[in-house]
Amino acid sequence: MFSRILRHEWRLLSGDATLWLVTAVCAAAIGYGVWNGARWVRFQQQAIADASAEQAKRYDALQTQITALRQPGASVSPFADPRNPSSLGGRLGPKYATLPPAPLAALAIGQSDLLPYYFKVSTDARENIVSTTEIENPNRLLAGRFDLAFVIIFFLPLLILALTYNMVSAEQEQGTLALVLSQPVGTGTLVRGKVAVRATVLVGVLVVLAGAALLITGVNLTAAGAVPRLLMWIVAVTAYAAFWFGLAVCVSSLGQSSTANATILATTWLALVVVAPSLFNLIATSFYPVPSRVEMVQAVREASDEANKEGSKLLARYYEDHPELATGDAAQAMTDFNVVRVAVNDDVENRVRPVVQRYERQIAAQQQTLDRLRFFSPAILMQSALNDVAGSGVDRHRHFISQLDAFHAQWRAHFVPLIFAKARVTSLDTLPSFTFVEESTAVLWGRVGTGVMALLLPSLALAWFGFRRLRRYPVAG
Amino acid sequence: MLTAVDLTKRYNDVVALNALRLTIAPGEVFCLLGANGAGKTTTINLFLNFIEPTSGSATINGIDVTKAPLETKKYVAYIPETVMLYRNLTGLENLEYFAALAGRPDYTASQLLEFFARVGLPDGAAERRVGTYSKGMRQKVGIAIALAKGAKALLLDEPTSGLDPKASNEFSDLLRQLSADGVAVLMATHDLFRAKQSGTRVGIMKHGRLVAVHGTDEFTHADLERVYLEHMHD
Ligand SMILES: Nc1ncnc2c1ncn2[C@@H]1O[C@H](COP(=O)(O)OP(=O)(O)OP(=O)(O)O)[C@@H](O)[C@H]1O
Ligand SMILES: [Mg+2]
Repeated sequence: MFSRILRHEWRLLSGDATLWLVTAVCAAAIGYGVWNGARWVRFQQQAIADASAEQAKRYDALQTQITALRQPGASVSPFADPRNPSSLGGRLGPKYATLPPAPLAALAIGQSDLLPYYFKVSTDARENIVSTTEIENPNRLLAGRFDLAFVIIFFLPLLILALTYNMVSAEQEQGTLALVLSQPVGTGTLVRGKVAVRATVLVGVLVVLAGAALLITGVNLTAAGAVPRLLMWIVAVTAYAAFWFGLAVCVSSLGQSSTANATILATTWLALVVVAPSLFNLIATSFYPVPSRVEMVQAVREASDEANKEGSKLLARYYEDHPELATGDAAQAMTDFNVVRVAVNDDVENRVRPVVQRYERQIAAQQQTLDRLRFFSPAILMQSALNDVAGSGVDRHRHFISQLDAFHAQWRAHFVPLIFAKARVTSLDTLPSFTFVEESTAVLWGRVGTGVMALLLPSLALAWFGFRRLRRYPVAG
Repeated sequence: MLTAVDLTKRYNDVVALNALRLTIAPGEVFCLLGANGAGKTTTINLFLNFIEPTSGSATINGIDVTKAPLETKKYVAYIPETVMLYRNLTGLENLEYFAALAGRPDYTASQLLEFFARVGLPDGAAERRVGTYSKGMRQKVGIAIALAKGAKALLLDEPTSGLDPKASNEFSDLLRQLSADGVAVLMATHDLFRAKQSGTRVGIMKHGRLVAVHGTDEFTHADLERVYLEHMHD
């Protein structure tokens, strides 16, 4: 019986031009979205490749210079001397810390176009390296880039609703419902059949087209982590689709006209997909306003000026904190520009820290507020999940920043003792390097799974309510 | 086969059906007469469980329709006043689908075409989209669907509306055949002539009440009309 309904629904659906129109539009949107995403990924990869080429070239030059300076009589100003640890660790030999795009980054541009993905790490103060660029308007993502995530979040619900808003009411209005329900078929079975066909078609079309688009744009599915991410993507998309199907079943069960259903569903879509993200963003930013970036930059500049003025006084204090470095002639060290610079950088960081912390606390509070509110909008839930899958969300970036901080500390720890000891660098091979360590798949499943559960629970509740009510669907009167 | 016990349906202050007591045995063709709004459709919808009774019960084959609607619907076939079908499918595809829903997925195409021949659907129409059918042709498909179900009871709501006189006449013959096969029929109709011709009993409804029941063999057609009009007057 059920399979007969499926066959019938497929015949009706496939005989209807709307389905093919929808599929064509879908294909175009998916193709364009994936192409856009892939373009952005290539751009990032190019930028990263350029950076690493620049670094390699610079290091070659430095190495050549070091070799040349071994010749007797060769000389160079200390500022341009790569053997000078202060110059090397500061201006001459900074290394890049880069966040490479995740294997399926083309699926969602997410926030990766707002968050810096490479930094030039030197012995400078952290704030001079990390411009604290953080999301100031998460909503921009929902309206900005036309990527596959956008297609899924905005269009998929519309397509689902277009194919389901009148699935019962149309039969009621065209008069076939009475004849169908005079047969031993429950309204629930009928609607399950309708939903099953539509869901299979839509999700199938989406997954196949997106998969094809990914392959055409040259995504490497054999890359580490690509397959689990693809699975997560399919699970998340299915859960999101389930929500909208649940909603459609629920609204269909109310026994209203097709027009009324369309109005109710369109309004709900507008509220959940368009209004809620902006509203929640507004709430987050008004409760936790972030100090302006100008203020931050200003603070860094003022701190640098003051620190530079106090120069040697700072060094004395620095020695108190780091007595192990106080070897050799302290009096001469007091006048050594390089040594003073270490202390000055340290001081700048200390001075700026409260401003930076306040800034980061507010950002974190905003993010937390949005994290909580996201449970009220399937669109935000979906955006977070897709960002996680594509590796273009805030969490992976935070993971990167903490590795960056560790690398910065490591870099300094390497150079500071050399600076104090007035040592000479003879080889570039021992310098620390940065390699990004990817988040574990388990952590990723955890985050994506939470989002998926948060989508599935309301879907089930809506479907449960809908199917219960369908039993009393007003066929007549 | 079809039984109503104190079956009542009230819409706010309108009593659409008032304490209907009725039993239709296998082989009986019970014709429900009455003015527009008398409660005929209401009665049929109650048997189909399309609406909930305010009180009383309707049973088919001894089973309460509100308690096991899917079970009772196996035993009845229904022809509405205006048969509406899937316009984009052919008559044959429609028949095939509804027969499958009715629990008869096993018919071959030629068996299905035979049903169309029995109801007098013009040759060649079966393969055409229903969107191109006239009302009477759709009605014939509806009758074919009911026949294909092979049900023990029929619920007919003005089934011949839109049928030409010849088709109407053939439908009466069909009803007599079914009756001979032991099918119980409840038919709402305005056609006194057909009621007399194909019915075994007629019931006259007025304001939701079944006010009179007669065997069709009790009078001539003219008598039936006179009795009916008398009931309508006061
Ligand atoms: N949904 C409803 N809400 C309120 N009243 C209704 C509803 N459906 C039917 N009625 C009323 O119930 C009464 C019986 O209606 P019913 O459709 O059974 O009449 P009928 O005998 O089939 O008439 P007709 O010969 O015109 O088909 C009418 O007075 C009608 O107005
Ligand atoms: Mg009626």
